[in-house]
Amino acid sequence: MSESTAQALIAQQQRRQILQQRWRLPLVILASLAVGFAMTAMVSEEPLQAFLTLLTGALPRLQWSPEEGWRLLRMVRFGAVIEDAVTLTFLGLAVALPFRARQFSLGADGQMFLAALAAAAVSLYVPGPAFVVLPLVFVAACATGFAWGALPGVLKTRYQANEIVTTLMLNLIAIQFYRLLVSGCMRDPGAGFLVTPLLPDRLILPLLLDKTNVTVMLLLAPLVVGLAWLLLMRTTWGYEIRLVGQAPAFARQAGVPVERAMWLSMACGGFFAAFAGVHVSNALLKRLPVDLTPGLGYEGLLVALLARNEPRAIPFAAFMYAYLRTGAQAMERTTDVSREVVLVIQALMILLVVSERLLPRLAEAWRSLVQRGAR
Amino acid sequence: MSISLPPVLVLQSVSKLYANGTLANDNVSMEIAAGEIHAVIGENGAGKSTLMKLLYGLEQPSSGRILLHGRVCVLRDPRQAIAAGIGLVPQHLQLVPSLTVTQNVVLGSEPTRGLGQQLLHSRAAVQAVSTAAQRFGFQLDPYAVVGDLSVGARQRVEILKTLYRGARIVMLDEPSAVLSEQEASALFASLRRMAEQGLTVLLITHKIREIRTVCDRFTVLRGGRVTGGGNAQDFSDAAISAMIVGRELSATSSATLTRRPPGQNAVALVGAHGLTVKRADGRVVLNGVSFEIAAGEILGVAGVEGNGQDVLAHVLCGLRAPSQGHADIEGVVFTSRGVRRARAVGVAATPEDRLHDGVAPAMSIIDNAMAVQYHQAPLSRRGWLDLAAMRGLARSIMARCQVAAAAPEALIGTLSGGNMQKIVLGREIASAPRFLIASQPTRGVDIGAAQVLHEQLCALRDTGAAILLISADLDELLALSDRIMVMSQGEIVAHFPAQQVDPGVLGGYMTGALRAAAAAALLASPFTALPAPAHHEEQA
Repeated sequence: MSESTAQALIAQQQRRQILQQRWRLPLVILASLAVGFAMTAMVSEEPLQAFLTLLTGALPRLQWSPEEGWRLLRMVRFGAVIEDAVTLTFLGLAVALPFRARQFSLGADGQMFLAALAAAAVSLYVPGPAFVVLPLVFVAACATGFAWGALPGVLKTRYQANEIVTTLMLNLIAIQFYRLLVSGCMRDPGAGFLVTPLLPDRLILPLLLDKTNVTVMLLLAPLVVGLAWLLLMRTTWGYEIRLVGQAPAFARQAGVPVERAMWLSMACGGFFAAFAGVHVSNALLKRLPVDLTPGLGYEGLLVALLARNEPRAIPFAAFMYAYLRTGAQAMERTTDVSREVVLVIQALMILLVVSERLLPRLAEAWRSLVQRGAR
Repeated sequence: MSISLPPVLVLQSVSKLYANGTLANDNVSMEIAAGEIHAVIGENGAGKSTLMKLLYGLEQPSSGRILLHGRVCVLRDPRQAIAAGIGLVPQHLQLVPSLTVTQNVVLGSEPTRGLGQQLLHSRAAVQAVSTAAQRFGFQLDPYAVVGDLSVGARQRVEILKTLYRGARIVMLDEPSAVLSEQEASALFASLRRMAEQGLTVLLITHKIREIRTVCDRFTVLRGGRVTGGGNAQDFSDAAISAMIVGRELSATSSATLTRRPPGQNAVALVGAHGLTVKRADGRVVLNGVSFEIAAGEILGVAGVEGNGQDVLAHVLCGLRAPSQGHADIEGVVFTSRGVRRARAVGVAATPEDRLHDGVAPAMSIIDNAMAVQYHQAPLSRRGWLDLAAMRGLARSIMARCQVAAAAPEALIGTLSGGNMQKIVLGREIASAPRFLIASQPTRGVDIGAAQVLHEQLCALRDTGAAILLISADLDELLALSDRIMVMSQGEIVAHFPAQQVDPGVLGGYMTGALRAAAAAALLASPFTALPAPAHHEEQA
């Protein structure tokens, strides 16, 4: 092999790699759409219509009428996308931070429930003007989330308790404690079901979009994402968290306080989960029902995986996820595709997107096929 | 030995281009005759391992042909290589410690008997193993449990395994890396016997001395290409090393590095007193180790691996607390206080396992370079990192140690072992330590990098730091150390002035054949008596 041919070969391989990097996401999304459509085609009478609903059902519709001019319809649906995206952004951060320190903390659910409870309690029982109480709401929620997140960290560093087990157990405890308080001492006796009283109007976060629950939380989310990024990339604590996640043995050898980085990463996760809690109590629901559904924390886990634990990618991943979910709900309601199939399609699409090695493998298989054909 | 025999293995213009664009083998052609010991020598990253992988079917050549007994041969996987009579003794031995020698050797191709050949024929297995062992002069008890054997003996088991599976060509990857001097000689004697019986031995190494002592012919690789080769007896060491590095080394690095004049400045900077570590299971892995190092002195630690050197290093850098004893710098005790407090009084360490304990491979050079100083100004203030200072530190380390890397932002895992180690050592030196524990500082790095690393160690010594040099490479120990202590089974068994001892004597103490009673390496400790002719006792 001569010098020039070798160099040409190297250059060709590098070009191929760059191309693969650049086209990876679009191609994978395309592939997942194709699989999704194939699934839809198998179960639906009108697959094209049904699949379009999945893809565009979450968008508002522009409509012209002679009486009222241009109008945006279905804003409620699009509002739901944004509301979910905001909640999931916070929950994604809550999972991503411990993951960066390689701590598999699954406690976002419990942290969010307790933070929502703390936010509601401060809103209901602390008198005073909004500009004093509202910051207090955030402080109380964040402190609760931080503490509940730190707990499994301390259990791990002190007693070697596996964080997967402890966070799952602590979720159960947090959710039951939440239900106890909402159906007990915080219950609104006037309501026909188990729920807290409505939070005072002055403590409900200001609305941004009519007919939706999109509040100033939407503006706060990018700031919180920025805060998480700063913490990870620009502070010594963040450096410790990253180093411990990447090479724990090396971190120990270098004298990094490994135990602190472990519990701190989990506690910071709780801190970010708390914003989701405030969002639920003081923006979306305005009161806390006893049957607030657990499980959102695990969707935060998916968002963190989609964003590969990179804080700056989390809002986009959260939006994509929320968009797909709302579209799936629209598909389920307005077409002949059943809920189960919709969930399968949604899961398949996410599966394809998170399969990092999918594309290189496919390319390899394709190339060897071509080579065999050529022989 | 007759080289007129037809070649058994021929490589014709073999190239290997990896998917990441690395051209690991470029047009490699060589011929290996039956019954010869052939060395493939080169620096790290020269393409030796790739060549071996191609021959063992672990990788496929991008172009070129491999001819076995004159026929083109395509090796798709190791199973085909074994079927073709090619065996590999890997550097990191892969044996089952709880099984006996025999069980390990026959594993996967056991002789069977009885109904439908379903029963293991243990007697036949033992028979086969002991016959093979005798034939090639291996001292092995077929019934011994592998976990109890020394590394050298385990290596012999691994060789027997390839022979038992019918290998006619045996490849050994850096076989002497883990052996003491005596064990290596025994190994080479066995290899010679194998060659005499018509087997072909392919020895992959980066030690020139091994070419001269055991090999018939050699091939030099540099940057993936063949840069020389021939009969081992026809070339001088200097000529071979020129082929390896592409330039004549000024001299062996040892000659250029001046030692501390003996007897001067004999005040201890660092002292260790009776360091003892008892494991949870009651085994004493470090027993009463005492030594002193003066400012500007290098104390070498010789020993076969696994005789307490790693424990000693862990205790000294603060990772592990001793059960008894302590160590101090000018009276300030730093053991049992954790890594950060030890580092605060001037202790630094380069770990033995670079990839696992010395770097975070998926992080940048910058992130790796600042790992021991990031919590102090100027790298950070009140918890906020200073990006310019971080980059500056990485740059200065790269410049001082001549690191070949595109930019400080490059991931450290993409660098070669030598460049990685330069950053590891550079990082520790940049923290201006007063006491450095250097464990295997040049393991697996090429000659060029080793020279830079040695110069850096000596430069640090010349600033008045004390250095504990733990190394399996006796040449390195003899070249750099002022004094050498030998460890065996967790104890110091000998103490020598480095100028007056040779590898053979050290080897005797390392393997436990000799031991001096109540040895210690304090500055005032007597040196262990050397065997005749130089029979004198000295005081430092």
